[in-house]
Amino acid sequence: MNLSISALEYIDAIKNGDFTIEEFVSKTLDHIKKVDGKLHAYLSVNEKALDQAKELDKKRKAKEKIGSCIGMPIAVKDNICVKDTKTTCASKMLEKYVAPFDATVIARLRKQDALFIGKTNLDEFAMGTTTEFSAYGPSKNPWNTQYVPGGSSGGSAVAVSALESIASLGSDTGGSVRNPASFCSIVGLKPTYGLVSRYGLISYANSIEQIGPMARTVKDTAFLLNIISGIDPNDNTTIDNHGEDYLKDIEAGIDGKKIGIISEMVGKGTDKEVSSATKKALSKFESLGAKCEEISLDMIDYSVASYYTITSTEAGSNLARYDNLRYGFDFDLEGYEFNSYIAKTRKNFGPEVTRRLIIGGFVPSAGHAGRYFLKALKVKSRLTKEINSAFKKVDFLVAPTVPILPFKFGEKLDDPVAMFLIDFNTVTANLTGKPAISVPFEMSNGLPIGIQIIADSMQEKSLFQAAYALESTTNLPKVPL
Amino acid sequence: MVSKEEIEHVAKLMKIDLDDHAVHIDRVQKMIEYFDILDKAATESEEIIVNEQPLENLREDKYEPYKDKLIDKLKHYKEKFVRAPKMV
Amino acid sequence: MTKIGLEIHCQLTKLESKLFCSCKADYRGFEPNTNICPVCVGLPGSLPRLNKKAIEKATVIAMALNCQTPPKIAFFRKNYFYPDLPKNFQITQLNIYGPTSIGQEGKISVEGKEIRIRRIQLEEDPGRLIYEGSSERTQITLVDYNRAGTPLVEIVTEPDFENPKQVRLFLNILSDLLENLGVSDPSLEGAMRADANVSIEGGSKVEIKNINSFYDLEKALQFELTRQQSLAERKIEIIQETRHWDDRRKITISARSKEGEEDYRYFLEGDIPWVMIAPQVVSRLKKDMPESISSKRERYIKNFDIPTQVADVLSSDKFYSDLFEQAHSEKNAKEVANLITTDLMGFVDTKEKRKESKLNAKHLSDLANSIIENKITRNSSKTVLQTIVKTGKSVPQIISELDLGHVSDEKEITMVIDEVIKEESKAVDEAKQKPETINYLVGKVMKKTKGKADATLTLELLKKRLNC
Repeated sequence: MNLSISALEYIDAIKNGDFTIEEFVSKTLDHIKKVDGKLHAYLSVNEKALDQAKELDKKRKAKEKIGSCIGMPIAVKDNICVKDTKTTCASKMLEKYVAPFDATVIARLRKQDALFIGKTNLDEFAMGTTTEFSAYGPSKNPWNTQYVPGGSSGGSAVAVSALESIASLGSDTGGSVRNPASFCSIVGLKPTYGLVSRYGLISYANSIEQIGPMARTVKDTAFLLNIISGIDPNDNTTIDNHGEDYLKDIEAGIDGKKIGIISEMVGKGTDKEVSSATKKALSKFESLGAKCEEISLDMIDYSVASYYTITSTEAGSNLARYDNLRYGFDFDLEGYEFNSYIAKTRKNFGPEVTRRLIIGGFVPSAGHAGRYFLKALKVKSRLTKEINSAFKKVDFLVAPTVPILPFKFGEKLDDPVAMFLIDFNTVTANLTGKPAISVPFEMSNGLPIGIQIIADSMQEKSLFQAAYALESTTNLPKVPL
Repeated sequence: MVSKEEIEHVAKLMKIDLDDHAVHIDRVQKMIEYFDILDKAATESEEIIVNEQPLENLREDKYEPYKDKLIDKLKHYKEKFVRAPKMV
Repeated sequence: MTKIGLEIHCQLTKLESKLFCSCKADYRGFEPNTNICPVCVGLPGSLPRLNKKAIEKATVIAMALNCQTPPKIAFFRKNYFYPDLPKNFQITQLNIYGPTSIGQEGKISVEGKEIRIRRIQLEEDPGRLIYEGSSERTQITLVDYNRAGTPLVEIVTEPDFENPKQVRLFLNILSDLLENLGVSDPSLEGAMRADANVSIEGGSKVEIKNINSFYDLEKALQFELTRQQSLAERKIEIIQETRHWDDRRKITISARSKEGEEDYRYFLEGDIPWVMIAPQVVSRLKKDMPESISSKRERYIKNFDIPTQVADVLSSDKFYSDLFEQAHSEKNAKEVANLITTDLMGFVDTKEKRKESKLNAKHLSDLANSIIENKITRNSSKTVLQTIVKTGKSVPQIISELDLGHVSDEKEITMVIDEVIKEESKAVDEAKQKPETINYLVGKVMKKTKGKADATLTLELLKKRLNC
């Protein structure tokens, strides 16, 4: 029994009777015990996982109907609600918060008998790109523990990469699935805005974020998307995908497809290793029969400023509910007046969240509303038009997922603008609502590099075909554990 | 330039006690300065794009009581209420 | 010149569910915090699920107030911290990106004076704060979120009112209109609330908030006008501010709004895509709209020859007009209208009495027909109505049980007249001299027959008997 198998291999192996669910889950739990002290992918591990595995085995033995995940251990980013489970957003603010309901994605996976093995680490309230802003300490990159795993869904990426789960769920507001997928050498998808229900995802910037599947292979990612996607009455922003099967025809190839390279995303500021990997990826695409051309999107230079303006404004509002009155942590209100109590308890936000809330109060406040926020919305709209017209010419847009290689802890923390630029290649898909996937492509001095493919809205099916085609050209090493 | 007073005002607006407003000024200043590039985008005439949905897609008006006794799962006072600090 | 503008909040109490979740829209009668779910207490991860009918009903209100209704509506967040606001923002509507609120630019006429409606917006009601002790200054604030998320329509008028009386008339008209539309029960406590802004010649605009009833609103306006006029007389500047109505002392007090308090940082609510309201939907809503009060009134006068005053009363009260619509026929319409507006009103003058009343449309119709067919006198119909309201028994049953059958038999009436003449010799003499006093004797006959005698016949017989 090998913990490094893919989700689809797991399903076959269980069906074949190669091992039981209990055996696999037990081995996974042992492995977590062994490595997670060092890697810190998890904020909490499901103590009932083994019992649940036994239950599912019993069900199988009794020939009862069982869902398509057959007890597959899945890790869940700790900003997604799992009923009766602590959901902290890696914040002191929600230290004791137990979600009373399942997120829609969780309910759908649960129905398919997935097993939620644990809740994973993230930058507090998903604000960050390294997990260094987790209130409970950072996760470590399994390829080299001196390096950041990326973020904000760092724990979810580490869990999959380090074999602590078969697959995981992350959330992507400006690259938070794709960035750590790239840094940890796994596959991560940011779906079309509205394809996956956000009900039960704790909002950071609700107008642009999506829950996304993270897995070892493109096919596993498609398998998970099949389960979690589609219209949800609990989320007014969801879109009907008419039960699309993303696994079907995934090996169709990309012969004759047109690929645009976004020139702004491979320009200055891109590490040379990353540049050369991107060039190599393009030649792979061409060898598979695709035609590549350069595409320029003028608005991209303003995308990060637009992104931070919108996200901090929305965050300022989304995080207002944390006033410690209805839920939160223990802090006696005796002797306090309302405003002073709220302000005191909200000191429990970490430094990055506090900074973004300050920006989030500053940018839309009466004096500045037109100056920043409306401009940001207009840039977002113009960028969407630009990308829409690009997709009239090409089928996919390609760029490195992150312009730079994974870096060491503490390296970028001090300069906010340097931190912004890490998101440069990923925010466009969020601002325009387009689906984007990061595919692990190369290792450079033991550090992973991922390639990002963006498709037009609701074109996940062809996006997976392109991603699978690229993945098939790679032969990457196993993670050193 | 972002002033200390401005940061204090926003901190009050967002209800966050800051130990030292000055610490934030430099960082906020850098971020805001970066946002100023939005001025160069020349998008004044741009119409904003929004998501839309037809009325027919919305929820039907039906009363369905929540199945759990939710107040038990919130911080509660006298079993029935959420308690807030005094208002004045 | 005095200028008064209003912001009226009206709960859509006739809806089944809240604006963004499936909890009950009318929270009244629930134990504290038992009409709540993750959405209306704003738990992390919850999202609003917009109620279709709330949009439809709010649109109907907008149309009834002659507003423009836009093809697309948008929701915005109004950000401020308060314990009754579980998300610490309120989902509401604005027109900052063009006309996207439920309705705008309407008007309504109040005794010939046109009051312009600036905007109608759909929003969520906050929860309720309960202070243990008697004021905000006491130690303990308790929150009940049962009301949080109840659909609320805010109607914002232009400052077109010239005096508190116009305000009162407007609110009466509005309240009748909302009830007639079947969207709200304005008589429920807290279902309709209003804030006002007031200014006099040369002075700044003053907002008055915290007014709990329309009665208090009139008092608050009167107080505020007097206050502003006395400042003006003493040449003291009237500053722009928000004042709170103090219910106990019956005065307005400066709210001393703190710096930055009014900065609501409005921006688009991304969790609710803009809602497209197709022209077909608008025409369907228009078609299905209940007949307006003024149209009912005109129809009653024109078709049934009902006096104006009766038609006014009948049309403006939905309870009465519904009864009338169901009970009347061409033949008995006038009599049904009379029964409702003269007798019935006295028996069902409160909500509770209306609820308890056992009367239905068939009762009214039967009773009116009995009067027309001379089976009962107009006089005894009042007793019958009262009995119906109490017992719900049928009209024929009550007539026979209470022995109220109409007496139009000459012999029977003559016998009673004989008795009266014997007993009232003084009055008889007087009547012979002054024929106009004969009604006294008619009254005596009626009393002896418990109102059953035919009044016209009695008079005729009496006249004959006394030779006058």
